[in-house]
Amino acid sequence: MARFLVRRVIFAVLLVFISSSAALFLTRLAPGDLASALGPNPSGAEVAAARARFDLDRPAVEQWGLWMSRALRFDFGESLQYGRPVGPLVVRAAANSAVLGITALAVATLLGIGLGIFTGAQGLSGGLAPVVVRAFSVACLSLPPLVTSLILVFIAARTGWFPLGGMTTPGIVETAWGPWLADVAAHLPLPVIALALPVAATFERLQSQALGETLHLPFVAAASARGVSRRSAILHHAWPVSLRAICAIYGIVIGAVLSGSFVVEYVTAWPGLGRMMYEALRARDIYLVAGCAAMGASFLALGTLAGDLLLVAVDPRVREGVTE
Amino acid sequence: MRPARILRILLAAAAAAAFLYYIRGAMPGGGGGTREGVPYEGAKGAPSDDPSYVPQRGGQIIGSSRSQPRSFNRLLVRDQTSDTVIMLLQGRLVRINRATFEVEPWLAEKWDASADGLTYTFYLRPNLTWSDGAPFSSADVVFSLEAALDPKVESVIAHNMMAGGQPIRAEAPDANTVKFTLAGPSGPGVRLFDALPILPKHKLGAALAAGTLAEAWGPATPPSEIVGMGPFVLREYTPGQRLVFDRNPRYWRKDARGQQLPYLDRLVLEIVPEQNAELLRLQAGQTDLTHSELRAEDYVPIRKAEAEGKVRLVELGIGTDPDGFWFCMKPAVKAKDPRFRFVQKREFRQAISHAVDREEFAQTVFLGEAVPTWGPITTGNEPWFSPNVPRYPHDPARARELLKSIGLEDRNGNGVVEDEKGTEARFTVLTQRGITYYETGATVVRDYAKAVGIALDVVALEAPALFARLESCDYDAVYMRALMSDLDPGLSLDYWLSSGDAHLWNLASKTPATEWEKEIDRLMTEQASTIALARRKTIFNDVQRIFAENLPVLYFAAPRLYYGHSVRLRGVVPSVMRPQVLWNADMLSVADGAASKP
Repeated sequence: MARFLVRRVIFAVLLVFISSSAALFLTRLAPGDLASALGPNPSGAEVAAARARFDLDRPAVEQWGLWMSRALRFDFGESLQYGRPVGPLVVRAAANSAVLGITALAVATLLGIGLGIFTGAQGLSGGLAPVVVRAFSVACLSLPPLVTSLILVFIAARTGWFPLGGMTTPGIVETAWGPWLADVAAHLPLPVIALALPVAATFERLQSQALGETLHLPFVAAASARGVSRRSAILHHAWPVSLRAICAIYGIVIGAVLSGSFVVEYVTAWPGLGRMMYEALRARDIYLVAGCAAMGASFLALGTLAGDLLLVAVDPRVREGVTE
Repeated sequence: MRPARILRILLAAAAAAAFLYYIRGAMPGGGGGTREGVPYEGAKGAPSDDPSYVPQRGGQIIGSSRSQPRSFNRLLVRDQTSDTVIMLLQGRLVRINRATFEVEPWLAEKWDASADGLTYTFYLRPNLTWSDGAPFSSADVVFSLEAALDPKVESVIAHNMMAGGQPIRAEAPDANTVKFTLAGPSGPGVRLFDALPILPKHKLGAALAAGTLAEAWGPATPPSEIVGMGPFVLREYTPGQRLVFDRNPRYWRKDARGQQLPYLDRLVLEIVPEQNAELLRLQAGQTDLTHSELRAEDYVPIRKAEAEGKVRLVELGIGTDPDGFWFCMKPAVKAKDPRFRFVQKREFRQAISHAVDREEFAQTVFLGEAVPTWGPITTGNEPWFSPNVPRYPHDPARARELLKSIGLEDRNGNGVVEDEKGTEARFTVLTQRGITYYETGATVVRDYAKAVGIALDVVALEAPALFARLESCDYDAVYMRALMSDLDPGLSLDYWLSSGDAHLWNLASKTPATEWEKEIDRLMTEQASTIALARRKTIFNDVQRIFAENLPVLYFAAPRLYYGHSVRLRGVVPSVMRPQVLWNADMLSVADGAASKP
């Protein structure tokens, strides 16, 4: 187990290092820099001073070296747009993304696996309900998150059922914890639905197919022969085994969902990591882009670790391999 | 204990710690405990537009901003958001009224100017205090000028504080008097001092002395440290989310009834980077103000929302910064480009001007909400607009004649004119991606140019990439809006002078590239140092005429600007200049003031 964890930590460090360095280099190499953010008609001296302040007057490799030496001391540079250190900005945005991501993941997991068990257990001849669920899943998988988000925002604008966007109601400045949490919760449905629907559809399809295949394995037939009820055979015998398919992709899904969705966060104005990175990219806010990439990579590494641990928990064969 | 069990416990503990950390950090005010507060209740419907409406104290409004302030120190930044925020927080000696363009007394109640225009004496209002209660005096004004001119600060307004090629000097004969001495006369005169933010010496004096003023009042500065003479004080700034301003209880200004201003108790600026989302929030009654004027494509839905009583639409007037189309004409960069031979001939540019039907352009690009324009100064800038400049009516035949006169004809029958060496008049036009009227405008110009044999390929780029191309003159042509620094041409020398950083077609040239640019340089230098207004106008009319004859930048239409705000908002005095409504923030009030009191 110790070796497994050490391998994972090394993988995480490498992933963060490579992602943030690549983000820094690519942003630096993209055409344009901070000059467009300095306001109308900046003077040459003004632009030169701003470039010097952000080390943009140095060669890219030298700039990367300086940034990396500071990053090792947990100084990730200053954001051009925000005029603040990148670290706290990214942590805050990551926390907001995590709130959204964890909620969406929970919804997607419950919905996707629940419906997957239902359609998998019913098989192809289970009547109309599984067909409707399958069709809905395929529709959700086919719809890009941008379209889903826009449709939801449109519905919210027309009906007033949900807030239009953001994480809290505009204008609420001082409030106690309880109402504040309730306000955040009221703003969650829109981005959560947009984020959770395709993930839930993926889980439903995977779970359905895996369970369908597992139900045909001899040990399920043996359980039924021993007098175990069909419900128990599905839930206590077949389902845990079929979970391996979900666990195999769960880690990547966790990482992807937690590191923020550009589209969903932007359209629903959720102040998370995805939106921050998108805006940083547009503004060529080079250190903020690198910081967001590093945080996204950390989430991906954590997600992969969580997925592996889940696999360990559900599959004894993997557990034995890890603990050997 | 089994490793899997240990891991489960560790993960649970980490999750709990992360949740607690998040809750503490994300709570307004850092989660410092329970505090009282009443949420904003949204628009409650408008009272009738009663002219006898009496503004009430109290309430809050919610506006939106599309970006973050880059600093709270006006000496260091010039972007729109920072400028708006600083306008709410800081005071000036005089203010240019954004509706009338006239200079008004502000922290100075009056001033004298010497006959030679070299001395200005300002008399400050007595007994004023900063937002932290410290007394305001002439020493603060002298300090502010010193800070603006200090080379270590590298202030963006330093060039405004020059006259006759020398820095303006200030002295304080007494606590309520400031005397400015100029090395040479300045055309804009007292308007110069609208650009000078008055900073608190007691707060920033030490930073200036230590040479660290350039780092002072950055976005991470605690709000309580930012002290001003403006109508509001900063209460909270959450990056990426919002800025909260409370009324400055020590603000000096009162209304005609003697009521202390500002009327509002609180002003919140939510940061909403996307303009569509901003408009949706306005229509849904979640915000009262938007960041800037409406786009042409928004007119129809907002008019509909107005008819439904959801928003109020106000006409700001004709925009003062029309979209322009220009070629890079920097000889050092373009000398080897064979197309430069004809681009630098004014007949070529005049031909494009003749090719475009400006009335139809206004209809297509701005859905009819625009007027034809012939130069950078539109009818929106009434004091300086000259109607007597050469105009180029839509006349494709004349355009072809002009092209032929400089040797450009369609010799091979492919629809594009060439010179005698076979060089085609084919160019790439860059514009900014995502701004509909830029992309539509560039496309419409392309279609008109095609009709006279000039091929334009439109490419839309993200702003940083576009600005990088502009800076290095790495482009053929550009279609976009270039903002003038000021409505007074004497304060927009960066556009007019060949050495200017906003001399679009040939940025920051060491010497004028052409005779006519040399003449404009001479006239503008004289204009900026002439005191008599009539003479200044005469000179500037000449400049506009020369500009329109040579067309280094082609202008086609100036949009009629509209602004949408909530129906509960009162005291709006709209301006074509940004910020269109918040420039007058101390006079804004809400119809349901007491009901929406924060």
